[in-house]
Amino acid sequence: MNKSQKLALVVDDSKMQCKLLAVLLEEENYRVVIANDGASGVQMYIDHQPDLVLMDINMPIMDGFEAARRIKKLSGIGTLAPLIFITSLDNDQTYIDSVEAGGDGILVRPFSPEVFKAKIKAMQRISDLVEQVKGLQQEQQKDAELAEKMMSNVIEARNFALDKIGVIKRAATIFSGDIHLSSQCPNGDIHILLGDFTGHGLRSSIGAIPVTETFRAMTKKGFSILEIIAQLNKQLYTLLPGDLFFAASFACISEHDKSAYIFNAGLPDGYLFNEKANIKNKLLSKHPPLGILPALLPDVQLEIIQVEHNDRLVFITDGIVEARNEAGEHFGFKRFEAAAAIGCLDNDIAAQVIKSLDEFCQHCEQEDDISLVDVPCNGWQKIKLSSKVTNLEEVNQGNNFLAVGENALPSWSYHLHLTDQLLKTVNPIPLVMNQINDLEGAGEHWQSLYTILTELFINSLDHGVLQLDSSLKDSAEGFSEYFNERANRLDKLAKNSINGPNKFIRILLNYFPLTHGGKMIINIKDSGQGFDVFEVIKNNKVSNNGDFRLSGRGVELVNQLCDTLEYQEQGTSVTASYIWHD
Amino acid sequence: MTVTNRFSDEEKKLVISIHERFDFSLHQQFRDSYKDVTTKDLTFVLDLSQTEYMDSSALGMILLLKDHVQACAGQLLISKPSDTVRKILEIAQFQRLIKID
Repeated sequence: MNKSQKLALVVDDSKMQCKLLAVLLEEENYRVVIANDGASGVQMYIDHQPDLVLMDINMPIMDGFEAARRIKKLSGIGTLAPLIFITSLDNDQTYIDSVEAGGDGILVRPFSPEVFKAKIKAMQRISDLVEQVKGLQQEQQKDAELAEKMMSNVIEARNFALDKIGVIKRAATIFSGDIHLSSQCPNGDIHILLGDFTGHGLRSSIGAIPVTETFRAMTKKGFSILEIIAQLNKQLYTLLPGDLFFAASFACISEHDKSAYIFNAGLPDGYLFNEKANIKNKLLSKHPPLGILPALLPDVQLEIIQVEHNDRLVFITDGIVEARNEAGEHFGFKRFEAAAAIGCLDNDIAAQVIKSLDEFCQHCEQEDDISLVDVPCNGWQKIKLSSKVTNLEEVNQGNNFLAVGENALPSWSYHLHLTDQLLKTVNPIPLVMNQINDLEGAGEHWQSLYTILTELFINSLDHGVLQLDSSLKDSAEGFSEYFNERANRLDKLAKNSINGPNKFIRILLNYFPLTHGGKMIINIKDSGQGFDVFEVIKNNKVSNNGDFRLSGRGVELVNQLCDTLEYQEQGTSVTASYIWHD
Repeated sequence: MTVTNRFSDEEKKLVISIHERFDFSLHQQFRDSYKDVTTKDLTFVLDLSQTEYMDSSALGMILLLKDHVQACAGQLLISKPSDTVRKILEIAQFQRLIKID
């Protein structure tokens, strides 16, 4: 028996008719099974799963209409075994009834063999098309499920601190073009991303993996949020076709700085709520979505906002405010803000917004992906002070460490010298950390080392090379002024328009292995004019009683992490020594 | 027809108007409205005064139009968007990419 041979079911109480139709069908290369009443026709359909059904109307036990209805109920959505009624009743009502019963066609006797064969061919053509569509649909479904699985299991499950971040994620199709990421920086700051690729479904998901990889890897290596955004934009510009882009909001929350650095590229306003559910800041889109321009606009700046302990940062995608109810009204910003405020007091913004949205939309079909992230501004700092060895003498007596004598040679050293415009364009910290990771492997204690390096480098750059006054940072307004001025001076530096000799920063690292750990000596020298070391330390001591000052905390933190911290050469050179246990 | 276009030779202008909803369903129609117009130094006007709503795929379609206009060394102008549509263009900061009046 030929497997590709199709199977036809003929249901007719006249054995003569059955015989006749069977002959014609066999000439068309069908195998044929026969039933002589409606009820056994249904049973034969179940048993044989034919590709085509020919059905008489007037039959004993069960008529053709009823049999057709049952058969059509059995054949699920997407499977079509065409059913043709064969009848001698030539009137409009029969035609109407046969279509109502689920018939795909009708043939009125008498007909010539040619007409019969033509009808069968036409039916077969339709059912082949249905098969094809079904196959494509299944394939698409499989792809969508894969993307969905990848997104939730691989991408989002690896997010940092999922328990602390409130999330709404509801896809319009099975796969959502929305993506949320969170990742921890080496110094304990947290990076957040909420983004929305144009369109829906699989098409909108192709950028998700590169975005995730880049975001995580660069955060881990200690790149700043703006450097990450610039890189993502570049990557997406090369990767995505012209009409696909990525609207996204980014935040870097620094508990240590009591500030958040925000960048909104094409998403609706983000919000900073305080604990009384008041809106402290609205975070407006300031840049076109990523992937449209080959590079970020040159005047791009992060928005710097001061955050308090109990503030919450909320980002949303347009699906929430554009969700429509039956009357076609949008959910809108007002309703969203009201729901978020209640949620803020209940400590669950996501739940309250979803509740309010569901009440508003009732059962209207969701047209767009709906996403929200709600991030607390506290509880992120996790710098471990425990790895620090407080008393070097004690350690040496305990023979845990090899003595590192004054004249001992380091097992390796690393030297980086940056001048003028490179000070603006190169962030040396990831370079340095990469070197350390390559030589010594990844280690948790590098987190402290990263913080020490970052703080000391930024101090040298800001106060040494750029000569910024840190007392500006004492007030919230001064804080943004400080960063504006910093950007200005960096620009000037890059254009080489600051008079005088070349500006530079030199970073020198010396590594000494110890039996159960190691010691890193960091020296940073800058081309600045230095400062009165004693005066600054005295001032910090005074102001550190009671409230923390906004500036000066960097040095204090470094001091806590290091064994020794010394300023030399009128404050233009600083040496920190950091020791750790394995 | 929700996408209409009017070509004026004296003014060196092609006006494309979108009625009601500007979304992915107009993809083909929208492309057809400009793809054969390759006259140099032409002003392409995208008239959104009759557009009630626009989604993000429409933004993508506008970017494709922008590429086409650039390839023809022409000018692109988005004309008279309604408040709703203007808000969507502003969130995407399109005023920094395309002239909007």
